[in-house]
Amino acid sequence: MPISQALHLTSMLLASASFIGLTLGAGLPEWLAALTGATLIAVLLRNIGIKSVERFTMQMPVSAIGWNLIVLGGFSGFWIDLLWISGDLLPAGLHFLMILLVIKLFNLRLRRDYLHLYAISLVAILAAGSLTTDLWFFPIFSVYLLAGVWTLLLFQLTKHSEVSGDVGMVMPIQQEYYEESNRVSPRFFWMANGLAGGAFLITVIIFFTIPRVTAGVYQKGFGENIRTSGFSDRVNLGSIGTIKRDPSIVMRVELPKSPSRDSRPLYLRGVSFDRYDGKVWTNQLSHRRSLIEESPGTFVFRGKQAVARVQRGEAIQQKILLEPLDTSVLFAAPFIEGVSGTFPSLFFDDTGAVYLPFPSSSRIEYTVVSRPTVLVPSDFGYEPSQYPETLVRHYLQLPLQSDRITTLAEEVTQRQRNAYEKATAIQTHLTSNYRYSLDAPLAEQQQPLEEFLFSRKTGYCEHYATAMVIMLRTIGVPARLVTGFMATEWNDYGNYYVVRQQDAHAWVEVYLPYSGWIRMDPTPTEDNPAAGGPVWQVFGPMMDNIRLQWNRLFVQYSAADQLAVVREFKAEGLSVQTKALDSVTALFGSFMAVLSGMVTHDMSQVRIGLLGEILGIVMIGLAMAFWLGRSQPWATTSFWKMTHSDEQVIAQLYRRMRTYLTGQGFSSSTAIAPLELVEITRTRWREAHSAVALITELYCRTRFGHIPLTSEDVKQAEGYLCRLLELPKP
Amino acid sequence: MSVQLPSFARGMLRYRSTRITSEGLQFLIFALAIGIAAINTGNNLFYLLLAMMLSLILVSGIAAEYCLRRLEFRRHVPDLLFTNTAVTIGLVVKNRKTRLTSFSLRLCDVSDDHVISPLMEIRALPPGESRLLSYQLTPIRRGRLRLSGVQISTEFPFGLFTKRTCFPMEDMVLVCPELQPIHERLLRGLRTAGHEQSVHRRGHGSDLYNLRLYHAGDDSRSIHWPTTARTSQLTIRETEAEEQRRAIIHVSTSVPASHEALFERAVSLAASLVQHLTHQGYSLQLRIGAEGSSFGQGDTHRVELLRMLALCQRTAPTAMSMRQDEWPGGYLEVNEGGTVVLVQAWSDSRDGEAELPRVFVDGELISGAAHAD
Repeated sequence: MPISQALHLTSMLLASASFIGLTLGAGLPEWLAALTGATLIAVLLRNIGIKSVERFTMQMPVSAIGWNLIVLGGFSGFWIDLLWISGDLLPAGLHFLMILLVIKLFNLRLRRDYLHLYAISLVAILAAGSLTTDLWFFPIFSVYLLAGVWTLLLFQLTKHSEVSGDVGMVMPIQQEYYEESNRVSPRFFWMANGLAGGAFLITVIIFFTIPRVTAGVYQKGFGENIRTSGFSDRVNLGSIGTIKRDPSIVMRVELPKSPSRDSRPLYLRGVSFDRYDGKVWTNQLSHRRSLIEESPGTFVFRGKQAVARVQRGEAIQQKILLEPLDTSVLFAAPFIEGVSGTFPSLFFDDTGAVYLPFPSSSRIEYTVVSRPTVLVPSDFGYEPSQYPETLVRHYLQLPLQSDRITTLAEEVTQRQRNAYEKATAIQTHLTSNYRYSLDAPLAEQQQPLEEFLFSRKTGYCEHYATAMVIMLRTIGVPARLVTGFMATEWNDYGNYYVVRQQDAHAWVEVYLPYSGWIRMDPTPTEDNPAAGGPVWQVFGPMMDNIRLQWNRLFVQYSAADQLAVVREFKAEGLSVQTKALDSVTALFGSFMAVLSGMVTHDMSQVRIGLLGEILGIVMIGLAMAFWLGRSQPWATTSFWKMTHSDEQVIAQLYRRMRTYLTGQGFSSSTAIAPLELVEITRTRWREAHSAVALITELYCRTRFGHIPLTSEDVKQAEGYLCRLLELPKP
Repeated sequence: MSVQLPSFARGMLRYRSTRITSEGLQFLIFALAIGIAAINTGNNLFYLLLAMMLSLILVSGIAAEYCLRRLEFRRHVPDLLFTNTAVTIGLVVKNRKTRLTSFSLRLCDVSDDHVISPLMEIRALPPGESRLLSYQLTPIRRGRLRLSGVQISTEFPFGLFTKRTCFPMEDMVLVCPELQPIHERLLRGLRTAGHEQSVHRRGHGSDLYNLRLYHAGDDSRSIHWPTTARTSQLTIRETEAEEQRRAIIHVSTSVPASHEALFERAVSLAASLVQHLTHQGYSLQLRIGAEGSSFGQGDTHRVELLRMLALCQRTAPTAMSMRQDEWPGGYLEVNEGGTVVLVQAWSDSRDGEAELPRVFVDGELISGAAHAD
């Protein structure tokens, strides 16, 4: 393929990569995406040589002034878009960028136009990078890098020479043309791809080693946050049902200290509600106060801030990667003791919920230490429960309702003596006698709770939790409704929980005099659809793990990670030998662990280990490439080796012949060329001529023609040399 | 004892200069903008793009370095160059790398840190192959021209930077004075003087010199048969030697600095005379100031005389130098026969105006002997 045509194609590929990136990231209007895409295809077909497209594009009678006017029109459109249509600078600017791309694609005449196209594509891929953090950016970026290397390479090779200004005697530049240099040869193809591969490896190294100096706090995002419900101060009964069919991932939760799968689901608490008016839950204790920042980025509950608990359970550490949500609530297993992350500040309310200052527009990662309450034996006694006034005021509140609920609650708990037993009885009643269903339009009912308990007897988590809370309150047990997520999906490849929108859940917290708030879940198990599914779904967890690693290693990579890597190397620096051994062990051990998902280890080490793996693999790759380039092991085989060896043999024979002839006075100067020497012997020593001519011919053929010798050739040359040495002196 | 550095160390130590191209400047501005955006937002994908641009810069440097390594040069220069006369100089470039092609090479010849050739470009030089390039060089000054090396540069691979290096390759060539056609009046003067002052000697030629009796060993082909028949004695015909014509060219070097250009024209005129008289078969002696050559003929002698003219220098007029530049009537060689041509760029008897060099042939001024430019 001619270089000029290759340049056209790679330029189109470059523009296409940036266009696709921007379309996926920014969600361009359909008409603009279609226009740009059609233009790219048309220009590509024209470059390939499709005649009809060529004719069509050639028929566009637009002069240079016409193109400038079109650009001015596009710029006017940008202002209209900015002021009246989009109303925002970024989308209007991106739309204008695509219009410029289209104009430039139709107007690729001069080299300057190509430079403009490359600049537009660079801005477009930059915009795509600012608008997304999804995994698809990585393949788009890789294609962009490959196309970029090819394009710059071809652009340089097609550059016309310019006369240097400092030449004293000005003469036109001489340029050498030959056929091969104007085409993309196989050698050139591999060289360009090698350069692209090298650039990719160096990019990875620079990316991980370049110091992170971040002036901003959060990454700025432009994409829409995931819409959630049930996590504000006021929640309608049944609102969670709207998101229960949405499989979007909202967070991933790692449990660094217990990375193996637990059969029990993990409850991730969001907010709790104390007041129910028959249709709507509200949180009357939503007054927020700042959490104490113990050390930079680490916030803890201290003193009066701590939720009163009688006895604490075992601490649970969680590392959570939270997608951008439209709520500022931070989710974690109950009850939070400390939170670490890159937050300027955190807030909490009296129910133990923790909040960001405002909803994050990008993914955030934080670590939480939680400690659940445990049931203490004192709560199994038969003493009448006495509750503080605050609890009574907030958690025994009841809406206006029929007595049927009170009667039902008393019936269910008539044999139980203490609060715990009563709560358990109600929970058992609900899980046993009611059926889980998302097809329960109870929100439209005047009294949805009565409808659920006595008529339909089907509902989902909110109905069950509300019913239990109200039934408990009617019999004098403080309770509250809690919303959050129930994580059940375990990713074996990455050893973490995947939490989706459909895992949104509501459950109950019951207050016991000695144990404090105890979690209880009255929702029966959902009737799962048949296990299994399409084969491609098997790759879902693997892809999700790749997505997670992309987020960890690229999107969320920070100065703290760089410091951690340095500390890791320092800590392990006992000796060079030990460190090398450890690194190799860690590299392959961790790598295999990630692949198989079978080995349990600390997740913070996985992150550093993975980083080390990538850097290690890159370094090993570079070292191997260097070694291959230097040693050329393929060159030691067969043909090359034989040729090299032949060259040495014939060169030795030729040298002996030449030395002998010098002794006879025929080759006194080293400046005499081989064929010249043959001519001299022809005229002055005819008897030796045939031997000298044959040895010289074999020598030149091997030395300069790189034609391998056969064993017969070598034998013949040796024979002729012997004959020459035996000849009488002239 | 000198320490021989390994080849890779020599390659590393060889001076390289890197200049940024206009495209490279734009590239760097974009990289800087992305870097600022990355720092400002903390967006790691901006850092990724920044890393990509930095890696391209790094790859650019490495590839350009490999492109310029293991190249071998040879230069083919004529033995003699003449001022204001174009000659073709050949440059052979060979890529001694075993696997990598060198792309986008630009070469130029360098003389004492000055580029003296146009830029010559090789788009691709595959491994093991060589290319012959040539360029026309027109020297503007006589004297020694030192070709010190070959400057080679490349914008490969991405055109962002121009990496340049200079491979030392010393060649010293002599630039002789410009040769010009001899004016008709001077030619006439030379012919007249040649006839008047020719020395008749026996030798090879066509004109009759003498008739004498045959001696044993004489060439039978030289017998003059008419005289032999008439006198009945074997008579030999002797011919007059043709190479007898001799000339001394004297160039006065006592010239004030204000007449530098006139001196150069005088030297050029003398070189033209040397060239002309050599072709005419004269035996020539050249005297420049106080220095002089021996008489001689042929190309070797001509080259020697041209070399003297190429290197001669003007001296400030002094009493001694002016005496040497006076009419050299006492030369022994002149007494033996021959023409004396004095080329004088300046004389204190002249009024000092910049005119043409004066030429005396056997003491007689040939007016208008030098061409006016």
